[in-house]
Amino acid sequence: MARPRLTLNAYAAFAAWALCCSLAVAAPVDFLREVRPIFEAKCFKCHGPEKQKSGFRLDASQVALHGGEAHAPNIVPGQPDRSPLLRFVSGVDREMRMPPKGDLLTVSEQATLRAWIAEGAVWPATADVVLANPLDWWSWRPLPSPQPAVDGSAKIDSFVRAKLAERGLQPAAPAPSATLVRRVTVDLTGLPPTPEETAAFLADSSPLAYERLVDRLLASPRYGERWARHWLDVVHYGDTHGYDKDKPREHAWAYRDYVIRALNADKPYARFVQEQVAGDTLFPGTRDGIEAMGFLAAGPWDLIGHAEVPESKVDGKLTRHLDRDDMLANTLGTFTSLTVHCAQCHNHKFDPITQEDYYSLQAVFAALDRTDRPYYLDDATNAKATKLVRQQKDLSAQIRQTEATLGAQAGEAYTALTRRIEGISKTAAAKAGNPTPDFGYHAQVSQQAQTVKWVQVDLGQRVELARVVLSPCYDDFNGIGAGFGFPVRFKVEVSDDPEFRQGVQLLWRGHDQRFMADLPNPGLTPYVVPIEPEDVITGRYVRVTAVQLAPRKGDFIFALAELEVRTADGRNVAQGRPVQALDSIEASPRWRKVNLTDGLAPVRPSPDELAQLQAERDRLLLAAASPAVAETLRARRTELAQLTKEVAALPKPSLVYAAGIHTGSGTFAGTGAQGGRPRPIFLLARGQVTQPQREVGPGALAALGFAPARFVLPAGAGEGERRAALAQWLTHRDNPLFWRSAVNRIWQYHFGQGLVETANDFGRNGAVPTHPELLDWLAGDFREHGGSWKRLHRQILLSATYRQSSDDNPAASRLDGGNTLLWRQQRRKLEAEVLRDAVLQASGRLDLTMGGPGWRDFVVERPEHSPHYRYDLADPADPQTFRRSIYRFVVRSQTQPWMTSLDCADPSMRVDKRNESLSALQALALLNNGFMLTQSTVLAERVVRERGEVKAQVARAYELVLGRPPSAATLERLVVFTREQGLPATCRALFNLNEFAFVD
Amino acid sequence: MSNTSPFHRSSAQPALSRRDFLWQAGGGLGGLALASLLGTDRALASPGKLTGCLHHPPKAKRVVQFFMAGAASHLDLYDYKPELIKRHGQPSDFGEKVEAFQNGLGPWMRPFWDFHPYGRSGKMLSEVSAPLGAVVDDMAFIHNMVGKSGVHSAATLLQSTGFQLPGFPGAGCWVSYALGSENDNLPTFVVLPDHRGFASNGVKNWDSAFLPSQHSGTIIQPSTTNPVADLFPSKGAGLLRPGSEPATQALLAELNQAHAASRPGDQRLEARIRSYELAARMQLAAPEALDLQSEAAHVQKLYGLERGPQAWAKEINAAEETFVFGQRCLAARRLLERGVRFVQVWSGNDNGFPRRNWDSHEDVKRDHGPLALGMSRGIAAFIQDLKQRGLFDDTIILWTTEFGRMPSSQGGKGRDHNPFVFTNWLAGGGIKGGTTLGESDQWGFKPLDRANPTQVYDVHATILHQLGIDHTRLSFRNNGIDRRLTDVHGHVLHGLLA
Repeated sequence: MARPRLTLNAYAAFAAWALCCSLAVAAPVDFLREVRPIFEAKCFKCHGPEKQKSGFRLDASQVALHGGEAHAPNIVPGQPDRSPLLRFVSGVDREMRMPPKGDLLTVSEQATLRAWIAEGAVWPATADVVLANPLDWWSWRPLPSPQPAVDGSAKIDSFVRAKLAERGLQPAAPAPSATLVRRVTVDLTGLPPTPEETAAFLADSSPLAYERLVDRLLASPRYGERWARHWLDVVHYGDTHGYDKDKPREHAWAYRDYVIRALNADKPYARFVQEQVAGDTLFPGTRDGIEAMGFLAAGPWDLIGHAEVPESKVDGKLTRHLDRDDMLANTLGTFTSLTVHCAQCHNHKFDPITQEDYYSLQAVFAALDRTDRPYYLDDATNAKATKLVRQQKDLSAQIRQTEATLGAQAGEAYTALTRRIEGISKTAAAKAGNPTPDFGYHAQVSQQAQTVKWVQVDLGQRVELARVVLSPCYDDFNGIGAGFGFPVRFKVEVSDDPEFRQGVQLLWRGHDQRFMADLPNPGLTPYVVPIEPEDVITGRYVRVTAVQLAPRKGDFIFALAELEVRTADGRNVAQGRPVQALDSIEASPRWRKVNLTDGLAPVRPSPDELAQLQAERDRLLLAAASPAVAETLRARRTELAQLTKEVAALPKPSLVYAAGIHTGSGTFAGTGAQGGRPRPIFLLARGQVTQPQREVGPGALAALGFAPARFVLPAGAGEGERRAALAQWLTHRDNPLFWRSAVNRIWQYHFGQGLVETANDFGRNGAVPTHPELLDWLAGDFREHGGSWKRLHRQILLSATYRQSSDDNPAASRLDGGNTLLWRQQRRKLEAEVLRDAVLQASGRLDLTMGGPGWRDFVVERPEHSPHYRYDLADPADPQTFRRSIYRFVVRSQTQPWMTSLDCADPSMRVDKRNESLSALQALALLNNGFMLTQSTVLAERVVRERGEVKAQVARAYELVLGRPPSAATLERLVVFTREQGLPATCRALFNLNEFAFVD
Repeated sequence: MSNTSPFHRSSAQPALSRRDFLWQAGGGLGGLALASLLGTDRALASPGKLTGCLHHPPKAKRVVQFFMAGAASHLDLYDYKPELIKRHGQPSDFGEKVEAFQNGLGPWMRPFWDFHPYGRSGKMLSEVSAPLGAVVDDMAFIHNMVGKSGVHSAATLLQSTGFQLPGFPGAGCWVSYALGSENDNLPTFVVLPDHRGFASNGVKNWDSAFLPSQHSGTIIQPSTTNPVADLFPSKGAGLLRPGSEPATQALLAELNQAHAASRPGDQRLEARIRSYELAARMQLAAPEALDLQSEAAHVQKLYGLERGPQAWAKEINAAEETFVFGQRCLAARRLLERGVRFVQVWSGNDNGFPRRNWDSHEDVKRDHGPLALGMSRGIAAFIQDLKQRGLFDDTIILWTTEFGRMPSSQGGKGRDHNPFVFTNWLAGGGIKGGTTLGESDQWGFKPLDRANPTQVYDVHATILHQLGIDHTRLSFRNNGIDRRLTDVHGHVLHGLLA
C-alpha cells in the first residue's frame, strides 16, 4: 500500500508546484496547442470522434465538460481538485486509471491539464465539435396540433397518395368484396367470417354496407378478444413465472380479462394506461384500478431468486434489480417505444436517456413486488371493504395503545399472566409446557449456526413409513420457550445402514421448505414430514440431520422432544426404540437421548384454558383503569367486534396477480412489514449491484422537457404517488412519444407493418417513419379525440388505402419491394391463435364463453417442485380447450409447442411484431397435431349432419374452411379424394391449404 | 451507420427486398423459396459450402454441446486440488466474506473420488471421469470459468444463451441462423433433453426468441414412440387410411399451386408449398437418423448400449445413467453425421426430489457418481466414434454446466453452488487437445488469476470463430438493439486453438 500513497503525494506536490509555475508566469494554457494534442494522443482512441466509450468524448466540449456517467462532470472548470479526469489520468486509482493500458500521461502533461482546468477549461469554438441535439429526432419533437379533418379516412389517403405520387406510383385497385370481408373480419375479431356472414355482406348492395360491417365488428365482443391478444404480446403476459420452478399464477387472468373489457368499452387510452401503472392510487376502490395493475406483474419473475435468496445477498439484490428492470422496460417500452433499459450500465448510446433517468425509474417501482391482490368485482363493495379495513386498523391501534398504557399500571400479576398466555413463563411451562421433567434430546452446543448434527432412531427392523413427526421442545432458557432448539434447516433420511453410507432415501416431500429455505419456528406444533404412498419409503433407521441450528444465546443448538415414526396403520414404531446421535447433552432427567422416543412431548394449553387465562388478565387490566377509561375501552372493543364481524361478513374477495406491496416472510419478505416504504435505489456504476453510487429519487426522462421529470412528492406520500406521477408523466398531453407509439401500433396490426417499422423502438437506433406527417396527424387526432381506439380503427378501415387489393404489381414492386409506401395491402399469414380459432369455428365447436381462468391443454406433473407441463399427455378432444385462444393458460418455461411452431408470441419477450416463418416443422404441426386431427374429424361429422350426400358435404366443408364455395373442378377433385380417403382426410387437407393460412 | 455484413440481419428489413436481393443473386424460384424456408439464404452464394459468406475460413462445421444441468462439481470430476485432500475436515477459510447460496460453508471437503493421471498430457481425472482418460489428450480444459449468479435459472440461461434473462436465442439458434442446414431433411439445431424432463428454464434455453422460429432447437427424444413432436399423426390417427399421406400431399400441392398461380409475386406461397414437400422428406429422414438399433454391435457396445433397456433400480445408478446418456450420445453422432448443425445434449433435469441432476447439495457421491460415470462413458465413446468416422476434426465439442460447486462441505456430504469458478472443456474442431487454459486457485474457489477469468462470452466467441464467424459481426436487431450471442463481450481464446 505504501507505493501508491507515495506516488500520490509526489504527484500532488508536483502538481501544486506546476500550478504555481503556470500561474507565476501568467501565460494561459493554449487549448489548441497544448491540451488538445494530449487528448488526441492519449484519449481519442476511446473517447474521440470514432469511439465514445462510456459515452464520453474529449473532442466535443458539450460532452467533455458535462458528461462522464457516474463521475459526471469529468471536468469542472476552475476546480481541478473536483475534476475526476485528473484523478483518472494520474493513475492513483488502479481500477480507474486512464488510459487503462499503456503509458500514463507524463507529469508535465498532467500539469498542463490541471492548469487548463484551473484557468476555467477554456474551449475555443474553433476547436469544438458541435454535436447534433439529441432531442432533434422525429419521435422526441413535440406533436403538432392536427388540422381538423371532416373525413379522417380521406385524410389518410391523401397522405399516402402524396407519397406514392412522389415516386410515380398508383394505389392498387380496391379489393373484391369477398376479400375485404375476410380481411376486415379477421383484423377486428381474429376470426374469419362465417359463410353466412360473407353471404350477407356480398348481398348488401348499399353504399354503406362496408361501413356497417366495420361498425358491427367493432361492437362485437370478439373485437376486445382479438386486440387484447396484440396487447398481451407487447406487455409479455403469461400465466406462470418462468425461470426455474415455473409455478402457475392462478390469478393472472383477471388482468387479461380487464384488457379485453377495457378494449371492448373503448376506454380512453390515457385512462387505460394510467390504470395499468397506478390504478390503485389514481382510481382507488375500483375494480379496474386493481386488475389493471396486472400489467406491471405481467412479465417473467424469478421465484428462486426471490424465495430462496434474501435481499441482503448479492444474488438477491441482482434478482430484485432485474425484477424492477422488467417492470420499467415494460412500462417505457410499451407506452413510449423507448429502450430505456439500455441505460442501466451507462448513459444510452443513441438516445438522450441518462443512467440517472434509468435509476429514477427504478425508484418509481422500488416498493413493489409481484403478488396476489384481493379486491371486489363491484366498486361499491370495494369501497366499503377499503373503508372497513381502515377503520378496523385505526381502532385496533387505539385499543392497543390504551391497553399498553393500562398494562404498564396493572402490576406484576398482569405481566405474569401475559407472559403465561404468550407461552414464555415458568408457570406456563409447568402448566402448559412439559408434562414431565424429561424434555427431550439436546445436541451439544455449537458456536456456529451452520453446523451439522444428526440424531437417529433404530426401528429394529425394516419398516415401510407413512410419516415422520417431530415434536418441538419447550424450555424457558433465554426466554425462548416453545420450539426450543428446533432446527432452522434439516433433512430427514431413511436407510438400512446405521452409518447412512448407502441406500439412503431422502424424505423429499417438503424438503424445499425445511432444507432449501429457513423453516419458521413451529412453536409447539408438531412438524409432520409427509410421505405419499407412491414414494414407498422403507428402512430400519430414520435420521434427522440438522444443517442450520436454532439460535439460543450467542450460540446454536439442536433439540427435539419426540421423534415419531408412523406406519400406514397409524402405529408409532419409534416409541421406546434406541436412539443414536452425533453428540448429545446427557443431563438426566430433562435432556437425554432416550427422551426422544419416550412418547412425551410438551403440549399447548387447551382453548378453554387459554380463554380462562385471557379473561382473568382482562379483569386485572380494567381494574387498573378509571371508570371513564374503562367505559371507553369497552365501547371501542364492542365497536371493533362489530367491525370485525362486518369485515368477516364481506364476500370472499377476488384475486389478481399484480404488482403491489408484498407482505411475506423469510427471504421473500417484500416491503409490507415496512408499510410499503420503497427500497432505497442507488445509481449503480456499470449496472453492478455491488457498486452503488448515490441514491436517486423517483422520476422519468429528463431530456423530455414537457413536464418535470424528477418527481417532487409531498412529505409522507405513499409509494403509489410515485407511480401516479409516472402515469401522469407518461400520459401527458405533451408527451410526443406516448401518442405516436399508440397509433403506430394500431396501424401496424392493420397493415402488417407500422408507419414506423420498429414499434418498440422510436430511438435513433430504430426506424424512421415512412409517412411522418401521417403519423403525426393520426397521433394528434387520436389525442384530440379522447384516445379512442375504435375511432382510430374506423378511420383506418374506411380508408381506400386499407381497402385496396394485396395483389402484386411488378412495376411498383421493383421500386418499393417492401411496400413501405403502401401501393397495395399486405397479404398476411394467420397468427397461431387466429388459425386455431378459425379451425374451431369451421368445425362448429368454437366455445365463445368469455373470461375466467385460462383453459389448459397440458397435464402438470410434479407440481410440488418444478412443475412439468406435459402437452403431449393432454386430450386434444377435451371440450374445455375449444374456447378462444386468448383464454389459453400461457406457460413460460414450456411454451405450447404447436402454437410456438406457428410463431405464437414468446411470453418471456416483449413482442411488438410477430415473426412470420414457414418451415417443415410447421407443416408437420398442421398436418399431424392431435388438435388438427381431432377437429378434422369434428368438421367431417358436422358436414355429414348438415348435408345429405358427399358432394354437398365436401362443398360445405370447403366453404366453412375457406369462406367461399369451391369451383366445379376443385369440387370434383375433392370428391374423388374424399371417396378414396374419407371425409376427415379431406377436412384435414382443407385446413392445410395456403388459402386458409393467408389473408389476402 | 450501415452494416454490410451478411450476418447482420434486422427484423426491420423488409422481407421482400431481401428476397429480391437473393433473386438477383441468381437463385431459381424453388431454390429461393427453399432457402428462405430453411434460413439458408446466407450461404446461397455457394450452396452447401460453408465458405460462401463466412467472415474467415472455418475450422469446424458443426457443434455439440453437453450441458450438465444442476451444476456439476469441477472439484470431483476434473479440477484436482491436493490442498483440499490435505486440509479435509479443517474449518474452511476463504480469506474473505463468502455468500453461498445455501450458506454451505462447512469444513474443507476433499473430492469424493481419487484422481489419477491419464494420457500423454498426464491430466488428472477423478475415478468417475476415468472413461474420459482414453480421449483426454483431445480435450482442452478451462478451469477458470466464472459465472454471474448462483441461482440456477439465471446461470443456466447465461451459459445457454449468453444472457441471464429469458428471451434470448440459444447458442445453437445463432449457429443455425448463421450457417443454416447441411441437410434440408433434418432440423438444423436439435436438442436431446434428459428423458426425465427439462432443466431450469425449460425450452427457454434453446428457443429462438427473436430469431425466426425455424432456428429453435427441435426437441428429439430418441427411443421413444414419438421422438419428434407431430412427425406423424398421433392421436386421432384413425381417420387416415393407408396411402392417405401421399394422396394428401398431392392434393395440397395441386390446390396450393393453383392458388399461388393466381397470386404471383409472393414467394411465401411457394415457400409454404415446399415446406410440405420437405415435411414429407423429414418423415423419412428422421426415423432413419434415430434408428439406433441399426448400429453395428461393436458400436452399441462402445456406447454401453449392448444390454438394451432394463428394469432399472429405483435409486439413481450408474448402469441406467450409462444407458440413457449413451443413447443420447449415439443419437447425437447420427444426427451430426447427417448434417445437423448443432446438437445440445442434456444430462439431468430440473430441481426436484429425488435428485436426478447435478445439484448435489445433500450428497455428491449419490448423484455425481452415477451421473458422471454415465456421462464420461458416453462422451468418451462419442469422441472415439467421431474420430473413427473422420468427423472429429470439424466438430466442436463443448462440455459445460451452469456453475461449479464449493470446496467446503454442505451438511457433511453435499456441496453448495460455486458461481465463482467452474470448469468447461472443449475438443475437436481445431481445438488444441491435451491443454489447460486458466487455473482455479488452490481450493477451486475462484480463478487463480482473478483479474483474468474466462467467461461464457469467450467460449461462445471461440466456437463461432472456429465456425468461420466473427462473433462481433453476427447480430440481429431486436427492440432497438443489435443483439449478439456474446452481448458486448467476448474474446476468442486463441490459447485453445491448434
